[in-house]
Amino acid sequence: MSVLLLAMLAVPFASAAVVLLIGHRSAGAGKGIAVGGEALALVLACVVAGWHLGSAAPTGHVYASTAAVGPPIQLAFYVDQLSAVMLLLVHVVSFLVQVYSLGYLEHDPRYPSYSSLVAVFTGAMSLVVTADDLWVLLVGWELMGACSYFLIAHHWELPEARAGAVKAFLMTRTADLGLLFGILVLGNRFGSYRISTVMGDITHGALQLDSLWLPALLFLAAAVGKSAQFPLHTWLPDAMPGPTPISALIHAATMVAAGVFLVARTYPMFTNSTSAMTWMAGIAALTMFLAAVYAMFSKDLKRVLAWSTVSQLAYMFGALAVGSWTAAVMHLLAHGAFKALLFLGAGSVIHAVGGSTSMDSMGGLRSRLPDTFVTMTLGFGALAGVVPLVGFFTKDAVIGASLREALDGRQVWTWVAWALFASMVLTAMLTVAYCLRAWLLVFFGDPAPAAEAAEEPAWTMRAPLYLLAVPTTFGGILVAYPELLFGSAHREELFHGVLSTVVTVLVILVGIVVAVAWARRREGDLWRPRPVPHPEVDVAYDVAVVRPVGRLAALTRFYDREVIGGWVDAAAGSAPGLGRVLRLAQNGNVQAYLMVVVVGAVAVAVAAGARS
Amino acid sequence: MPLWWPLLLAALLFSIGVYGVLARRNAVLVLMGVELMLNAANINLVAFDAYLRDALHSGQIFALFVIVIAAAEIGLALAIVLLVFRTHGHIEVDRLRALADRDEAPEEVRR
Repeated sequence: MSVLLLAMLAVPFASAAVVLLIGHRSAGAGKGIAVGGEALALVLACVVAGWHLGSAAPTGHVYASTAAVGPPIQLAFYVDQLSAVMLLLVHVVSFLVQVYSLGYLEHDPRYPSYSSLVAVFTGAMSLVVTADDLWVLLVGWELMGACSYFLIAHHWELPEARAGAVKAFLMTRTADLGLLFGILVLGNRFGSYRISTVMGDITHGALQLDSLWLPALLFLAAAVGKSAQFPLHTWLPDAMPGPTPISALIHAATMVAAGVFLVARTYPMFTNSTSAMTWMAGIAALTMFLAAVYAMFSKDLKRVLAWSTVSQLAYMFGALAVGSWTAAVMHLLAHGAFKALLFLGAGSVIHAVGGSTSMDSMGGLRSRLPDTFVTMTLGFGALAGVVPLVGFFTKDAVIGASLREALDGRQVWTWVAWALFASMVLTAMLTVAYCLRAWLLVFFGDPAPAAEAAEEPAWTMRAPLYLLAVPTTFGGILVAYPELLFGSAHREELFHGVLSTVVTVLVILVGIVVAVAWARRREGDLWRPRPVPHPEVDVAYDVAVVRPVGRLAALTRFYDREVIGGWVDAAAGSAPGLGRVLRLAQNGNVQAYLMVVVVGAVAVAVAAGARS
Repeated sequence: MPLWWPLLLAALLFSIGVYGVLARRNAVLVLMGVELMLNAANINLVAFDAYLRDALHSGQIFALFVIVIAAAEIGLALAIVLLVFRTHGHIEVDRLRALADRDEAPEEVRR
């Protein structure tokens, strides 16, 4: 098993290296190796995951260990049910993205570096989900940050792509400091960096409640940055200039899912720390509503989807905060499926209308793109929580868990739990509204000039859509039986019966009423986006961080140029001056030189005579 | 004869020579100053040779060497002076400043 696991981790990196080496010489071979390598990794991941699903015992293995001072840093891996489902999600989405990119970026000159970065991205996420040592996890975590930077900046000739990439990198990197310090705190406290050891100690150690608030909050900060939660939520929508398959990868499987995964992986630490849980609940409540409002008024299809990701991630954090681990992971998996479907579908829409992401240039695409229409309808339905689709079941589980916590839970402060529940219900309504709006704007109404000649793309771009539509449609079965995935320890009642069904149906009805009323009110003139006052967190960052740093940099520059450089310049300038003085002696008169020699000799003689 | 007589004579001659070297402008007179200094040294050599009663008379032999070398030196030096006169039209030492350190090389050096 351990050999298989190592092979699965190594295959993406190896195929990335090979693609980089030969991709520019032979485009066909490069693409073949990229897709083939990912297919191999997918098969290996399926084997590894299949071994650990259900009530199987987790596998842990240490390959190497340091023998230096302090707790050892180990190349250790640990695969349990959570790792298994994450591996499946990551590799399925990544494989489909590789296949999809064959069509989407067919004529891209930077295809080799693109596909090898996707492979590295996948490998890094696999590293994160299987790592048992916190430092190994950190390596994968940072590798993902770097890969997302490069991939968002894939079209680096666009200034907004460069800016988005830098923003994503800086914001997630800043938040990553939380993970770094959290790791140090945990290692100091427990004398080990192994996640399984530390979590075992926490579970069985009968620690005082809330004694782990510091590492929990630090880990939460890292997760908030990676998963684009308030107040670090602005990087994700600004990362949209990247290629659409990359958005699918980042939003569904790798980057943002890592934040939720980190919390799920270190969950005993969070259940110990009620203050971190309360913070998480508050952040989730605020983020999901805010992001849904932005999604409501955004004109750009990809931005709508990006904000919906932020909002859905907040659902997951909300579920984690109210103690429903299973609901959160289920929603993560379901979201991975339908958000990958939505982004890939959006990619084929954008491809069909010639590259524009604005919903003004779409419309009436229902008949032109029938495959995309059907699959994206399923995706939007799942996002909105329409009844038989997977999103309904998982969102229902999350909302039900938060209501239970608000009624009689002790995990978070009661009023925060109630706020979370209210925000979840409100956001579910908004989600229906913005999904409906985007769906209508893209597929109905009068086609825009750019959409007149739209055609369905190649099969490589349609097949992933249908494949992803399968879990989107039938994934609800798994939600009813979570023990199939997670073993008997997680046999929770995720379907919350009458109450949640009533709430969810009510929510959907209200959402439809809102959307229809809005449609009637602006007939003929389609739902034009209206400016929404954004909470200006970017301005706050600008004032609090960017400008002081800029000023400090200016001061440093001044000091370097004027003070340190001044000394150097003065030294350099004084040398010719001094030389000019000395040159006066070199006047060409031989007799003057001799005079100096004679006087010197006499002086030496006199001095010698005086001393003896 | 007491030792200080020749020593005094040598000192006087040497001083006159130094004066000639440092103060005269004519190159030939400068050379004459150099000869005076050399011969002052010769007087010293001979005087000490006699005073110390050296069996091998190394002082006198050394003086002979100095005379020979001085003859050679003055021959070379007068040749230089002659060339200087031919190129510059004068032999005034303090006007020969072509080797001074300046920002630009003077006309005569460039030529």
